[in-house]
Amino acid sequence: MNVALAWWLTPVNLPQFSLLLLLNFSSDMNRKRSLIPDAFRVKKRRFGADNINGHPEHGDTQADGPPDVKATLQYLMTLFPRKLFNDSLPQIVFKHQLYSLHSDKTLVDKQVNELRDKGELLMFQLGFGSDAFGLVFSEDYRTKVLAMEDGRSTLGTVEKFLDKVLPGCSDLSFSKDKMLKHFLFTDSEITQLVKSGVLTVRDAGSWWLSIPNSGRFTKYFIQGRKAVLGMVKKSKYNEILKNDLQERRTTSHVKLDIKYHIHDIIGAELVECIQTTSGTLLRFVDT
Amino acid sequence: MLSFITARQIGLDPPVRLRRAESARRVLSLELNHDREVERIHGNGINTIDIEVIEGRYMLSGGSDGVIVIYDLENNSRKLQYTCRAVCTVGRSSRHVHRFSVETVQWYPHDTGMFVSSSFDKTMKVWDTETLKPAEVFQFEGNVYCHHMSPIARKHSLIAVGTKDPKVQLCDLKSGSRIHILQGHRGEVLSVRWSPRYEHILATASADSRVRVWDVRRASGSLFTLDQQNGDQSKTSTETVNTAHDGRVNGLCFTHDGLYLLTTGTDDRMRLWNSSTGENTLVNYGKVVNESRKGVKLTVSQGCSPEFVFVPCGSSVMVYALHTGEMITTLRGHYNNVDCCEFHPDYQELYSGGKDCNILAWVPVLRGPDTEDEETAKVKAGASAAVNPAFEDAWSSDED
Repeated sequence: MNVALAWWLTPVNLPQFSLLLLLNFSSDMNRKRSLIPDAFRVKKRRFGADNINGHPEHGDTQADGPPDVKATLQYLMTLFPRKLFNDSLPQIVFKHQLYSLHSDKTLVDKQVNELRDKGELLMFQLGFGSDAFGLVFSEDYRTKVLAMEDGRSTLGTVEKFLDKVLPGCSDLSFSKDKMLKHFLFTDSEITQLVKSGVLTVRDAGSWWLSIPNSGRFTKYFIQGRKAVLGMVKKSKYNEILKNDLQERRTTSHVKLDIKYHIHDIIGAELVECIQTTSGTLLRFVDT
Repeated sequence: MLSFITARQIGLDPPVRLRRAESARRVLSLELNHDREVERIHGNGINTIDIEVIEGRYMLSGGSDGVIVIYDLENNSRKLQYTCRAVCTVGRSSRHVHRFSVETVQWYPHDTGMFVSSSFDKTMKVWDTETLKPAEVFQFEGNVYCHHMSPIARKHSLIAVGTKDPKVQLCDLKSGSRIHILQGHRGEVLSVRWSPRYEHILATASADSRVRVWDVRRASGSLFTLDQQNGDQSKTSTETVNTAHDGRVNGLCFTHDGLYLLTTGTDDRMRLWNSSTGENTLVNYGKVVNESRKGVKLTVSQGCSPEFVFVPCGSSVMVYALHTGEMITTLRGHYNNVDCCEFHPDYQELYSGGKDCNILAWVPVLRGPDTEDEETAKVKAGASAAVNPAFEDAWSSDED
């Protein structure tokens, strides 16, 4: 019937999808036994010591269905310390921090791209690793940037940039002729944008989209990441329970929330996440 | 399982569905088995293995000491415990053995009378399996990293060779000529692969971070280069624009139907590409550790319904689902780095070889008894001689 046809035609088969198909089809035939899902139940995916991807604390994707990336983003944004930067920076979350909370990375990437296309989310290349992308909600970004520009001479240009460029174009970087011809900015306006911090130099004739005054954030982040990784490395056997790490007193090097850093190191796969009977264990990955 | 069989019986399902589901289930239960092992001949690490396509019976392996061994994989002994014996070897004592490590071996795709091996001694030898003497030797200027013969070619018999030289050489088996060159790469060519779908399409991966797809009939250069950003030039720094990876690309594998191409690179990433358009499908496998200076030999399962990728990573083999990118499991068993792995499509077994000189066979675990049969199985087991007769109680409580 339709079920068999759908199976035959789709080349990409998510295990959950096929599971649903099979359950629908066979529910009348096998009420007592669960033989058919056995054919597709991943036997190795018990939560044993081998499992790399730890049980996500915020919404289990295997139970729920497609991951709700927006809700996770909002949760992660609450971990960002606003007072530290005197409320001048919008809340920044890294794309790989989402991987620590959801097990299917491809779906997370897809949803992030959808949010970016809708214009709700902005992605930035923060400069310390080609894979480290920062995510900021567009409204946050606008309010903070305009608040900072208030009273300065560059306000007009920045407003023009935010209104013309950001809604339509979701690029991370802009080249000179794109700015001049497509968006009709003049050279002096581009200089003003760079001065205000909205654009950063990438190469001769091209610029990254950036967050003004984010230099301090990047510095604290890198310092904090090194310090938290150091804490994991110094532990016996290079491993520490996640709950223990959260309870530990952080040195003065770690200025951001330790949970923020923990999501970062798990998502960037700098530590391995192993499920144990006493909770999640983080083991340093030596590469 | 029974409902699959019933559905196939009454014609609700196409027959291939049951086969694919069962193959996938077998792959998901791969494990090291006490009963199956491969005889240990190599004295130094194993760089490459190849299982012939015709019968799936003979396996070639090439080692770092230049030795080439042929194993018989078929179990004719009627016992469960089986060691795959070496049928013949091109050992260090042979006059024609390679002087340095053998990097790639491949059976001739149409029969097992011939195989080709290429090595760091800058030669590629075409061997006759009967006499174990090379019928043809191709000499090159630089180390030969890899070679590949098209598995489906009827109109040509070209071997694509990737060497230290940025030019990809095509050697013709029929005439012995090697004048056909593919130019375009700027670094050493670490991996070459013919498409299993079209006999003229070739993919090459190089240390200059680019993967090029060629049509060998076309004189004017590659068809396209794989771009990890799919043409979006804004995402990365200007040096990595139009590259497949942010480091050396050292592993290439086509899926069995030839529609997708997998590449791995030293930036610890693995990417899945649509092989006809060159588009990055953006499947995120996470960090696939890759520290190899030479090629990485990954392989894809065949005939299963979610296909699986087997990648050697360090001293284990990682198994990923092909289209969703999730990591299924890690196969641990080697004592040192794993260099190569090969999937046997008929039995859904995986053979992997590494620096610890072992070839390990990963065999699907047999299905246990069903829940309904468990009680009968238990009763049977209790009744049979599972108990050592020395512990059996001969004493009876009856008066008689």
